[in-house]
Amino acid sequence: MKIYVDIMRVIQREENRAKPTRILYGANLSYDRLLKHLDELKTLGVIEEIVESDDRFYKLTQKGIEFLNQFRAVERFATAFGFAI
Amino acid sequence: MKLVAFVIALAIAYQALKGYRLTKQKTLWYVHFSFAVLSAGLLVDSLAGFVGIVARTFRGTIAFTSIGYSIYFFAQLLAYSILIYAYVSQTRTLNTPTSPVLVASLFGFATLQAAPGIVARLLGSMVEYHPGSEILLLFLVFYVAVQTGTNYSATKDRNALLVFLAFLMLALSHLFFILQPISPLLFVIGHLLQLSGFVSFLAMLLRVTRNQ
Repeated sequence: MKIYVDIMRVIQREENRAKPTRILYGANLSYDRLLKHLDELKTLGVIEEIVESDDRFYKLTQKGIEFLNQFRAVERFATAFGFAI
Repeated sequence: MKLVAFVIALAIAYQALKGYRLTKQKTLWYVHFSFAVLSAGLLVDSLAGFVGIVARTFRGTIAFTSIGYSIYFFAQLLAYSILIYAYVSQTRTLNTPTSPVLVASLFGFATLQAAPGIVARLLGSMVEYHPGSEILLLFLVFYVAVQTGTNYSATKDRNALLVFLAFLMLALSHLFFILQPISPLLFVIGHLLQLSGFVSFLAMLLRVTRNQ
């Protein structure tokens, strides 16, 4: 769960258009693991892949943006009580 | 006043449940369960109080309020124990040193679990509106207030401050309930502090749920 959120946060930080290398460094993952997680996130429908000429980008879907907003609220709530997520 | 507190406690329980569904974090489940129990207790107590007022002209007025308070007392006892268990279980997970307060709380919780019969007999005389029962609740809420205060001092987060203030005011309300034989005014102040505590929870909830 935390890895998924980290990846999605990197994409959002990159103005919702992130190259795999940026996600790789931002989420501190190996290339194999990154590809695996990106596939899982695509299956969940929270990110989508965009291919433009030879470049590959990832962006958050509306579902992904809503999920991140909900996660942030939960994170703030848990932190307020002193519980880590 | 208690109906307002009931609605706020229910809202906190709902938010914690949403968080649990999203993250599957056990601590959030404990927060949900704790506030759900607390809200149920508040509802029963306020309804019993209302029925008690309505039935004032009939017999059994005291019985209504006593039953309401007894249920609310045990609901609080359970709710605060669950919260303490959540903090204890997190401390165990994080592997930090155990404080004496923690040991005392664990002992209290273990006693409640291990010897319900003895505890029930001991508490039996206290469940009517009596300062003695409030001492036990004060101890439990004070422990939670210390935990949330420690969290605020570490994070300096405003939401953490609101939660700390909420539990501090709840602890103070129990202190005023203990001291109520001195003056009836302390009873009123205790209730106002209790309401302020729940309003502080509401402020935190509104802050965390708004989109930023």
